Amino acid sequence: MTEEPYRWLEAVANRREYVREQLKGGTPVLGASLPEGILLLGVGGGQSKVFELFDRHALAGLGHPADIERIRQAAIDAAHVEAFTRAPEDVSLRRLVGFGLGPQLKTNFEQIFSAPFLVELLLAELGPEPGRDLFFRLHFDGSYQTQFGGAVVAAIDAEAEAGARKWLGEMIQTKTDRKEAADLLLQAWWRLSENKPFTERLPEEEARRAGWREAAKGKEIEIGWLARRSSRPARYQAPTAAELGL
Amino acid sequence: MSHSKPIAGDFLSLLAEHRLEPTAPVAPAASAGAPVQTQATTVFGFHWAEGVLMAGDRRATAGNVIVTDRVEKIIEIDPTSVLAIAGVPATAFEMARVLQTSFEYYRRSQLQPLSLPARVRALARLLRENLPMTMQGIGIVVPLFAGVDHAVTPAEPRIYFYDPLGAQFQAVGYAASGSGSGTIRSVLSFQERYGQPRPSQMGLRDAVRFASRLLATASEFDSATGGINPATETYATIKLLKASGVETITDAQQKEFLHD
Repeated sequence: MTEEPYRWLEAVANRREYVREQLKGGTPVLGASLPEGILLLGVGGGQSKVFELFDRHALAGLGHPADIERIRQAAIDAAHVEAFTRAPEDVSLRRLVGFGLGPQLKTNFEQIFSAPFLVELLLAELGPEPGRDLFFRLHFDGSYQTQFGGAVVAAIDAEAEAGARKWLGEMIQTKTDRKEAADLLLQAWWRLSENKPFTERLPEEEARRAGWREAAKGKEIEIGWLARRSSRPARYQAPTAAELGL
Repeated sequence: MSHSKPIAGDFLSLLAEHRLEPTAPVAPAASAGAPVQTQATTVFGFHWAEGVLMAGDRRATAGNVIVTDRVEKIIEIDPTSVLAIAGVPATAFEMARVLQTSFEYYRRSQLQPLSLPARVRALARLLRENLPMTMQGIGIVVPLFAGVDHAVTPAEPRIYFYDPLGAQFQAVGYAASGSGSGTIRSVLSFQERYGQPRPSQMGLRDAVRFASRLLATASEFDSATGGINPATETYATIKLLKASGVETITDAQQKEFLHD
């Protein structure tokens, strides 16, 4: 069937539809650049969503755990080989995604006789200052967008994701504290999980807070923190929600 | 070496897959024109009241030439491991780099830290792979390793020493390596048996002062040991390994403790 070009296009379109359908059950992951570091957050039912990649690099993802694991492992392998053959300072997200993960995902997506990766990912690189914190929003087909600083979201629905990112981008500017920022990300997570749009008037802060607390009951809030100031090369920490005072 | 699928979490097999593994080449027999090897000595470690102290002088020599008095021979591998190098720096620093990357790679990829026995064996493996260089008399490294054992409660730091072929031994109280180690072992043995306090009973100030004086004593009998010289601001490299992590004793702290 793939000998005919239009058949191939049809197969790829079907594949895109299949991946989106499979990802529907996934809950969003979110990130924010703060004065003291980068916060990544996900809420799950026991399966990890936030991971350390390298000294200043972390990943958060939604999708099939086995596929997230394969991408995570590929990124860790590439980062450590790069650090060993050159230097840890040479490990960059731009090269990791642009020359590694992105092309690999695209190739996999277009090989229509193999299983596609069921993932949507956020990758973060800690910079020397918040304005130089770099985020990559990497999609299952290998396409990606970049952003310096601010807040980022990976969700299933592109429109809802854009709405959440815009809302968070405005709200996060007043937040400098990890607890406050995590609380805000959880409010956005709740809104996205409930499939409520960000275009209409949102409930008051207390209602939003009560909303995420109710929705997160019985689930695990997973937090990754890349600390800007540290005496050690490895900046990643994984504080619990209780440690953040949530 | 075969280039099969890498073992999960094993950085050396990942390097092998990319044909990047560190190898010890078989060199031709040494000739009169061969450069004189740079050597780094002297290092030691002992148990003090709150953990393990690892120290080393900062001299590197090549024959009768002092190459530098600013070498760091005590290297933090990760928050639970310290390596002390004696021997050829070219090989030893590469071993330290392999260990640093390997331990972090394992922790990140396997989502758990490497156990102490595995960390101790990882260094033994590097020494064994360096066998061709060792047997030719070039590239010899005789390190010390200190690591926190989290398999016991509460977690405890331990000291290990090696022979050049990679055999590993756990030191009960102390270990030393390098050209000045004979003097240091003698003093440590004496202090452990007859001293008041014993090294394992010493607090921070006493332990640091004792370590500095050990190096100063060794340097009187061994020209390759740099010793301590406050006049030129030359101090030892001293790191403390506790269950909570690694701390470095700065030159300023050593100066202060020595003048107390």
